[in-house]
Amino acid sequence: MNIDPQGLNTIPAISIRNLTKVYPIPFRRERVVAVKDLSLDVLPGQVYGLLGPNGSGKSTAMKIVLGLISPTSGQTQIFGRDSSEVESREDVGFLPENPYFYKYLTGAETLHFFGKVCGLGGAKLRTKCAELLKLVGLENAASRRLGGYSKGMLQRIGLAQALVQDPRLLVLDEPTAGVDPAGSREIRDLILDFKARGITVLLCSHLLGQVQEICDRIGILYHGVLVREGKLEDLVSIENQTELILENSSPAVLEQVRALVEKSGGRVVETRKPQTTLESFFLDVTSGRRTAEEPPHVRRKE
Amino acid sequence: MDTPHKIFSPARLWAIASNTLLELVRLKVFYFLLLFALLIIGSSAFMLDFKFQEQFQVLKDMSLGSMSIFSWLLAVLATAMLLPKEIEDRTLYTILAKPVPRLEYILGKLLGILALLFVSILLMSVMFVIALYIKQQAVLTDAVRGLPPEQTADVIRGVKASAFTVSLIPCVAMIYIKSALLASFTLLASTFATSSIFTIIVSFVVYFIGHVQGIARESLLASPNASALSKVFLAFVSLLFPDLRLLNLTDDVVAGNAISSAIFLKTAGLGLSYFCVYTLAAYLIFAFKEL
Amino acid sequence: MMVKPLAAVFSMLLLFGAAKLPFEHRLEQEDRAAFFHGAKLSLGLRDQVGQLGFLAALSGFRSLVADFLWIEAHTAWEGTQWGRMALLFNNVTTLQPRVVMFWDMAAWHMAYNASVAAMQDPKQPRLALRLRAQREYFELGKDFLIRGIENNPDRYLLYERLGIVERDKFGDHCAASRRFGEAAAIRGAPTYEKRFMAYELSHCPGHEREAYERLLALYKTGRREWLPTLLERLEYLQKALNIPAAQRVNIPEKKL
Ligand SMILES: Nc1ncnc2c1ncn2[C@@H]1O[C@H](COP(=O)(O)OP(=O)(O)OP(=O)(O)O)[C@@H](O)[C@H]1O
Ligand SMILES: [Mg+2]
Repeated sequence: MNIDPQGLNTIPAISIRNLTKVYPIPFRRERVVAVKDLSLDVLPGQVYGLLGPNGSGKSTAMKIVLGLISPTSGQTQIFGRDSSEVESREDVGFLPENPYFYKYLTGAETLHFFGKVCGLGGAKLRTKCAELLKLVGLENAASRRLGGYSKGMLQRIGLAQALVQDPRLLVLDEPTAGVDPAGSREIRDLILDFKARGITVLLCSHLLGQVQEICDRIGILYHGVLVREGKLEDLVSIENQTELILENSSPAVLEQVRALVEKSGGRVVETRKPQTTLESFFLDVTSGRRTAEEPPHVRRKE
Repeated sequence: MDTPHKIFSPARLWAIASNTLLELVRLKVFYFLLLFALLIIGSSAFMLDFKFQEQFQVLKDMSLGSMSIFSWLLAVLATAMLLPKEIEDRTLYTILAKPVPRLEYILGKLLGILALLFVSILLMSVMFVIALYIKQQAVLTDAVRGLPPEQTADVIRGVKASAFTVSLIPCVAMIYIKSALLASFTLLASTFATSSIFTIIVSFVVYFIGHVQGIARESLLASPNASALSKVFLAFVSLLFPDLRLLNLTDDVVAGNAISSAIFLKTAGLGLSYFCVYTLAAYLIFAFKEL
Repeated sequence: MMVKPLAAVFSMLLLFGAAKLPFEHRLEQEDRAAFFHGAKLSLGLRDQVGQLGFLAALSGFRSLVADFLWIEAHTAWEGTQWGRMALLFNNVTTLQPRVVMFWDMAAWHMAYNASVAAMQDPKQPRLALRLRAQREYFELGKDFLIRGIENNPDRYLLYERLGIVERDKFGDHCAASRRFGEAAAIRGAPTYEKRFMAYELSHCPGHEREAYERLLALYKTGRREWLPTLLERLEYLQKALNIPAAQRVNIPEKKL
């Protein structure tokens, strides 16, 4: 029943077919076409990045996949089950954009609540919650109310919440929005860790650097239309160029290399000193001092 | 998941309901109980130079009257803010993205409100009965003093008869059912409203119209040759609105009217069927709602 | 998209409305038969109670509004404003016609307090007018009791009170006897109602024979009924009716 683009006989984790979503604007004649005739598959084990400028329909597509809103036309499935069925949500964890939870619950209570909502309970749920809190690095904040959490901490409890029923698929809407670079790096590492455990991930993010680091496949939406889609290497590598980074090489050696290249008919496009990225510079400077869960004054007391 | 998905799971329902209750408790809604206590203590103190029958009458009227008002306000205000708050805070997304049927979600929310109303009405009833008992004992020692022993039995019986009557129990039960009905209606209103204020206004208007619905209904049935326009209007009111006056037994019970079990069962049945219909309607609209 | 469920819900509510309408109608009639939901609130009441109070009364808070008016009447009493009291009592009893105490107290204030005050009114030197005013308050009290009985025919207290007013204020023993008799006929009425009825009958000209038989029947039920008044009335009737000595009951001398 599913058309498999790679010809393999696997059921895609997410399959979107000819999806269109039109939002009516109340009291006006115009409508917003948020997603237009979108078709794509996310295969099990992949990390898929959905990219696009603001308002291009990424969140809308995700919400339709999760059955939170209904499509105007087209179908979406999760592991072969239609999104309109409640059961389709058993195998998926969702982190909405700018997640908010119940402010009056503590981190542990939040996870416990979502676990119970998924039909879990008892000692199994308790160990699961502790495990997840540790995984996202919130074990020290477990008994604090979410009302006092920072944005990054909320993002992380959201990630833990999405994982509570051990889903095979994660849908993450801007998991790193508002998170500091170290935090977003940790989230990136977590996603890589999920990938290693065989969890499929669909994410959207505006941090293209990170998307490039973790995604196998990307799709670019523009005004609701999927303008490009494919494997990341295929899309971004420049086939006829090669990068070469040398250490402790004298100008004479460089000259020799250049001569060699030109002799063989190639061309040196550019020679420059590689710079560290602002990200790694920032991380260098702040490493060892950063304590998201424990503000400085808490430490000084000890 | 190792277990197959359950269509309807009481555990899940209870998780949502208890969380809703917790949310309301953390909103400190129970402070209104203090107000209730102050009201009955205040009214008792104020009535000291009245006859004991008057004191009992006012104590009962005040307690049951404020019990009705508080449970009505609580039902409307707490329910009205539930869904809009969940949508605004986007907590709804996280819950419905889990394998939770929308029916269970909405029933869980309603159950939370029902639990809140139950606890509140129970606590108010306990306070009321204690106040009534204290008053009765005070009046008894006063009334019996200096009476010949053969008359004391009659006096004690008289005092006790004007204090606690069994009819108070179905009366409190109807206060609960009525507030549950108002909660379910408010939930229905909040499924298509866009703001809490709108929901609250609609619920209040329905509350007032509901108390005069009986007049519209009886005049519709009594005057078959009214003009078409007024008939349409009367039919609209009597078909779409609940007769809340029928569901209100408080005024009659405090007047000492005994409630026959037939009347109580019919009244309660009417209230509960409204509750079910409104809940079903709220679910239907919510099931198709774009979040 | 949203239109379909809305239409479904609307038609469901209409259908349910059609089903519940006759049910509500019948329940209302049953309630009325059991004296529920009080009197129909008149528009006149709105002016006297005020818009807000009337609205509250309509919205299921009749008893609270009645209490506030009652307390107001109490204040009026402390200021001896008898006319205002009568007006407030009217409103209170309209709002809560099933609270027997309201009728009872309203009648008592009129027939016993207001009437005395009218009799002692220093601003009215003419006795005839004072007497007339007094009688008007008697009538007012009686009127409260009669209307109270119409709303509470199943309760004995107001019949008894009316009997007492007939006896003490109007001196109409025949009417008083009838009222005590009506009170006695109601389930749960105290046993003294029967006695009161017979006493009053013994004062009602032309009914001596019936009174004698009733008192005799009470006498025969046992020593508990041998109260001084009963014995005194029985002795009086035995003499008045010339009952043969053999049939007369033995009246103990001055029982303590
Ligand atoms: N509930 C709604 N009603 C009407 N229009 C909406 C609604 N939700 C989204 N839209 C519109 O649909 C379009 C797509 O929105 P969407 O939130 O999917 O974008 P996005 O790609 O997630 O953007 P961002 O990067 O800012 O999160 C936008 O033009 C938005 O205005
Ligand atoms: Mg978005």
